[in-house]
Amino acid sequence: MKYLKIILQISVLFLFYYIGEAIQSAFSLFIPGSIIGMLLFFALLTFKLIRVEWVADGIDLLIKDMPIFFVPVTVGVVQYLEFFYGKGSLMIPLVILSTFLTVGISSCITSLLLKKEVDAHD
Amino acid sequence: MINVWIGIIFLIMTIAVYRVAKRIYRKYPNPFTLPIFLTSGFLIILLGFSDLSYRSYMLGGQWIDLFLGPIVVALALPLYRQLDLIKKYAQTIFLGIFAGSIIGIVTGIAGAKTLGFEDWIIKSVAAKSVTTPVALSITDTAGGNLSFAAVFVMIAGISGAMFGPVIVRLLRIQHPVARGLGIGTASHAIGTSKALELGELDGAVSALSMTISAVVVSFLVPLFLALL
Repeated sequence: MKYLKIILQISVLFLFYYIGEAIQSAFSLFIPGSIIGMLLFFALLTFKLIRVEWVADGIDLLIKDMPIFFVPVTVGVVQYLEFFYGKGSLMIPLVILSTFLTVGISSCITSLLLKKEVDAHD
Repeated sequence: MINVWIGIIFLIMTIAVYRVAKRIYRKYPNPFTLPIFLTSGFLIILLGFSDLSYRSYMLGGQWIDLFLGPIVVALALPLYRQLDLIKKYAQTIFLGIFAGSIIGIVTGIAGAKTLGFEDWIIKSVAAKSVTTPVALSITDTAGGNLSFAAVFVMIAGISGAMFGPVIVRLLRIQHPVARGLGIGTASHAIGTSKALELGELDGAVSALSMTISAVVVSFLVPLFLALL
């Protein structure tokens, strides 16, 4: 019974995913169908048309072990290892630098906005 | 029929290696013992140094891949649970995430372009700041390479988790909302686990920033790639 419930709850995610994909291809949108499905699901949760307790157990179970679902895709890089031996290795410091800039600049901007907010209340 | 068995064996192996990796991470928590890093690293070495092909591995892996899209949908639930926190800082959070998302995309795309990389690499790095399932969806829609996208996402996550807290300290940023937002927007779930160590509010904001930035980035990447 418990397993059946979890399977049904996870099926809800598949349902929204397929709806999102269908909407994307029907209107040839440039946003991924999965994101459309997620926004739709979020809207239904927000408007309480879907109650959290109806879906929570299965979804929390899936989220807890989310990384395992990325394993096969990540392992796919084994087909291109030689890319990283040559010039491709430059992509690694580039991604790191870009990440540092993102952390630094976005937290600075947020910090300034928060200070402005406090000043406005004074 | 033999393919089904090969698939089942690889499926069981993936789950087993992941469980061992989780145990190692629990004992020695560190960005380099993350289960995704250890599990994929182990399998890459195994496939790289044996006659087993990725194609035969995927006889099992394809079943796991089926969940990638639905997992994006699942992210709506944690986001919904943080609705109160989002409302409290709505404007600030949205502006900060928007700025961070643009910086992450533009520096990635422009950097790869400057270094002279081909279009498919540029398309694979564009969404590297966001959580893996969303980055994969975005990369798939954009026409990039999913495996490269997954690796770039992991590098962004690990580097941001290791140095994000150092960067916010050097910049003398003290507000937990600002710290969490920066780390979550740049390095998604891996960063979030580290932001949690700075404080509860840091972690909560990092988690919501990673999901909101994922949505923002999915709208922005196609626009910036169109400029190429």
